[in-house]
Amino acid sequence: MRHLIPEFERMKERFPEGFDSSLVLPCLHRIQADRGYVAEEDIVGLCEYLSVPRIQVEEVLSYYTMLRREGIGKTHLQVCRNIACSMRGAEGVIEHACKRLGVKPGETTADGKFTLSTVECLGSCGTAPVLMVNDAYHENMTLEKLDALIADLSAGGGNS
Amino acid sequence: MPAADGMVVFTASDKVKARRKATMEFITLNHPVDCGICDKAGECTLQDYHFEYNGGASVSRDAKTHATKHFDLSDRIVLDNERCIQCTRCVRFTREISKSNGLGMLDRGDHSIVRPSADGSFAKDAYSDNVIDLCPVGALLAKDFLHKARVWYLKATPSVCPGCERGCGVNLWHRKDEWMLRSPRQAARNDGLDRVTPIENPAVNGPWVCNKARDLPKLLGRVRAAGALFKGAPAPLEAAVLEARALIAEAKRPVAVVSSWASNEELAAFKAALGGRLALVAKRDHEPQPGEVVQDDLLIRADKNPNAAGVRAVLGECGTEVPKDADLVLVWGEGFDFRAVPASAKIVFLNAFLAPENGHADVFLPVSIQTERSGHYTNFAGVTSRFERCFALPPGVLHAEDLFGSLVGNGRGA
Ligand code: SF4
Ligand code: SF4
Ligand code: FES
Repeated sequence: MRHLIPEFERMKERFPEGFDSSLVLPCLHRIQADRGYVAEEDIVGLCEYLSVPRIQVEEVLSYYTMLRREGIGKTHLQVCRNIACSMRGAEGVIEHACKRLGVKPGETTADGKFTLSTVECLGSCGTAPVLMVNDAYHENMTLEKLDALIADLSAGGGNS
Repeated sequence: MPAADGMVVFTASDKVKARRKATMEFITLNHPVDCGICDKAGECTLQDYHFEYNGGASVSRDAKTHATKHFDLSDRIVLDNERCIQCTRCVRFTREISKSNGLGMLDRGDHSIVRPSADGSFAKDAYSDNVIDLCPVGALLAKDFLHKARVWYLKATPSVCPGCERGCGVNLWHRKDEWMLRSPRQAARNDGLDRVTPIENPAVNGPWVCNKARDLPKLLGRVRAAGALFKGAPAPLEAAVLEARALIAEAKRPVAVVSSWASNEELAAFKAALGGRLALVAKRDHEPQPGEVVQDDLLIRADKNPNAAGVRAVLGECGTEVPKDADLVLVWGEGFDFRAVPASAKIVFLNAFLAPENGHADVFLPVSIQTERSGHYTNFAGVTSRFERCFALPPGVLHAEDLFGSLVGNGRGA
């Protein structure tokens, strides 16, 4: 993360003085965009840079499902498991995705193509159930749509 | 609505009670209610409030959620995540008071879980055990006290921690008379301390104590010196006292090495009986141990003795070294390096615990410890605090306070 410090310095200017700990979240996002995940050395380096206790970074990392401690496959499938989606069949979607990909939530397929995650509310409850493929939303998900989506992605059909 | 002058607040209306009942219902939704095997039972605020406001069983139709039950939080504390009500008091203690930042609340929602920081800072927190008292439920429990006694079997005797010159107020918990253990295998525990908790005293320690206070049961529970000795050979107590008296009477340049674990009462008795007769040397009975926090900004002080200030106040400035020409040295308490005694000098030694040095003295006399008497210590800031007796004097052991009077007089006669 050290090469990102000049960027962090510019972020710092946007925060009032004495609020360096508020930079934990944006810094972690930036680190993850850079490396693909947050490594042990990033945590140690960030604590030192911001003078925040280690536990504060661990709390942020564990609270937000979008922050990861390990690398992921090429395509990231994130299925919402929160209340609106659950009421509209998210559990079936998750189960089906597991079966199709042969992994459990949190795991990556052996060929490194897919990582499946379950996440909290994606803010699109009106179109539940929702899942994300990398940064794109796929709404009103059904098992048929999921089959087609996975088939398309497996055939190398881009990121959406 | 912020509080304002003249505002009337109803804290026990039917509406308030109904809300409290509902809150209790929510908090106990997934609580394991394993009070029967929980050390907190009897002093648990969740139990008390549930009894006061709800009293009903969980209304959830779903199975209770489970979490880790015996999580090793440190080598001193176990965490039961099922009992945790996620109040975050423990987390805040490590942030705001002890400043170790050792604990955090990881994850979210009903997965939220108290965990120690991966950098191991909680295990190094010298005040960590305060979270056990702070925890409103039985989620944080002391390993040393785990399943040792129901709290209603115990009584608390007000005392003073002798761990350093701060002299924090503590309650020493030990078994009530009506709950004494009868089996011979367990009976020894009747005379021991089961646990230590702080007594809030704004002038001394606020509401906290350091972990050293929690370990007093071990420190004071060490094997005791059981009887008087003449150079290691068992001697009758009265004969040993007479012999010590004679040695003092015969000495030309007697010296006393005074204990900084002595109470003000003991020091006064010593001064009245022997103060004019012996040259005085002040001793630090205990020094900082390897790994121990020597001093910090919260409570812990570098002088690991409770009454150095009392020694100064009662006896005035004492020497620090035994004079080379001393021909008798009366050593009172632990922590003395006997190599400082001139080769030809006689030694009278007063100690409470079993130690190899006991057998080297010409006369050894076993004395009481803090829990067997009451008295006062004066701390570094001049605050004097009282400690009460917990246990009876063991047979064959003397109170130093009573002994000093018998050490005055001539020769071996009665
Ligand atoms: S003090 Fe006890 S109940 Fe509160 S968060 Fe800590 S472990 Fe849980
Ligand atoms: S700060 Fe000193 S007196 Fe207070 S609990 Fe710790 S050792 Fe005992
Ligand atoms: S609950 Fe799934 S998007 Fe809100």
